[in-house]
Amino acid sequence: MAQAVIAQPAVARLRGSNARSRRIVDRIATAALWGASSLVVLLLLLFIGFEFYRGASSISWQFLTGSPTAGTAGGGIGPLIFNSFYVLILTLAFTVPISVCAGMYLQEYSAGGRFKAIVQFSAESLATVPSIVMGLFGLLVFVSALHWHFTALGGALTLTLLNLPAMMRVTQEALAGVPGTYREASMACGATKWQTVLKVILPSAIGPLTTGVVLVSGRIFGETAALIYTAGASVSYGRSAYDVNPFHTAETLAVGLYQVHREALVPDVDRIANGSALVLLVMVLVFNVVARVVGRALTLRFTGKAR
Amino acid sequence: MIQSQPAAAPALADKMKIENLDIFYGTFQAMKRANLSVPDRHVMALIGPSGCGKSTFLRALNRMHDLTPGARVEGKVTLDGVDIYAPSIDPVTVRHRIGMVFQRPNPFPKSIFENVVYGAKIHGEKNPKRLAEIAEKSLRAAALWDEVKDRLSRSALDLSGGQQQRLCIARVLAVEPEVILMDEPASALDPIATSKIEDLIGELKRDYTVIIVTHSMQQAARISDFTSFFLLGELIEVGTTSDIFTRPRDKRTEDYITGRYG
Repeated sequence: MAQAVIAQPAVARLRGSNARSRRIVDRIATAALWGASSLVVLLLLLFIGFEFYRGASSISWQFLTGSPTAGTAGGGIGPLIFNSFYVLILTLAFTVPISVCAGMYLQEYSAGGRFKAIVQFSAESLATVPSIVMGLFGLLVFVSALHWHFTALGGALTLTLLNLPAMMRVTQEALAGVPGTYREASMACGATKWQTVLKVILPSAIGPLTTGVVLVSGRIFGETAALIYTAGASVSYGRSAYDVNPFHTAETLAVGLYQVHREALVPDVDRIANGSALVLLVMVLVFNVVARVVGRALTLRFTGKAR
Repeated sequence: MIQSQPAAAPALADKMKIENLDIFYGTFQAMKRANLSVPDRHVMALIGPSGCGKSTFLRALNRMHDLTPGARVEGKVTLDGVDIYAPSIDPVTVRHRIGMVFQRPNPFPKSIFENVVYGAKIHGEKNPKRLAEIAEKSLRAAALWDEVKDRLSRSALDLSGGQQQRLCIARVLAVEPEVILMDEPASALDPIATSKIEDLIGELKRDYTVIIVTHSMQQAARISDFTSFFLLGELIEVGTTSDIFTRPRDKRTEDYITGRYG
């Protein structure tokens, strides 16, 4: 009886006069947030669908492996795909060692202080340089000043400048994800800093690190503006179709896509452009998927989980 | 502050001696003028309420503060009479001789075997047969061998919390230190795992000097030969464990052990 007396006002308070309207607002907010998230997925699916619709008919073995033609229809993009991978590998060969070492220094060695601040500031500034500006810088340095002309190497070095900050960030984040207790445990066993980094920290971070590297690779693969004036926009400029000389011109798939609409002298421009766009898109998507799969596999492998 | 030496202490050889130890985090002084002698092959417990500086004190004993930006240690800490903070001393060598077990079990994300032999490998042991011997010896000493001998290649992360902590102790033993520092090693464990760790500490003192931080007075009473009481960044009193718990000299020690604060 006494309880009922107490409960009565409590229930009234719980029901509250505005309870109904608050519940409706809550539902609307949830729906709006869900809608915005779904929109992202929908846009991606629409975009992929559109590219497939436009480009699927262009895809054939001949298109994927054949060489571009001048003046006649039926050209392929084989050398362009090859160049994209070639320039990517060259770029990674420079970017990964430098940025992993720099990121490692910042995360594991520097105890804050001025030098760390300077490096961070430099990286952030470098990250804000538009890729076309970086491309023009490459043009001045590698193409003109060094007299290399348009080269795969010049393109790769320009891309290195462009992607160092992102790769450094990736390294820092991967290392930051390693629990501090691992460091303490290793040091308490009498390990040096370098031994700790090499035997404990890096193996623990290898999954996220690889994921990051592959994701950045996807961006390098699709980069265009920085390459037009550095690696060049031609595959027939003094070189054979599949050429590994880093001092030769190397038009990548992304640059080719830009170029074919601008000045190609072939009657089937649309077919080549749509096909190239689809191939580029699929490649970049593959990078994203591979990044996650390989990252997870490496984490399992190196942390000994789920053996 | 009372610097009472236990009656039995003079007869024992000091393994470690701490003189006028000050520890700062930036401008904050976390430990003031601490003095302590730790007898060889005995268990020394460090007790006191949370935030009293006992863990801070412990971490100064194998130079773990070197890894903390802003931390500064002043005073003298000697191991067998040699100052471990002397400029000529390499902190890596110090940690080789003075191992540490942490509050939360922190095995590496590697196999059980790789965890145990980590220190040995770090110090240059490559012979697989020798490494296998070290692994078995250390795991036996840590009372873990029988539970894991059939699955040494499994991930250490698959072990229970208590097993992980004994693995961490085995990992320290494999380095063959002389002193083992333990920072509340059982605080994250259930009672059964805790009692296994306590039994193990009783075994370890035959070969090692153990300095253990504990927030549990019962634990200190069960496992230690000597106890030191810390309060507000000061080492208040040191004595044999039975003296500290039955006839403390300082009023503050008495208040703490009778449960008046903490």
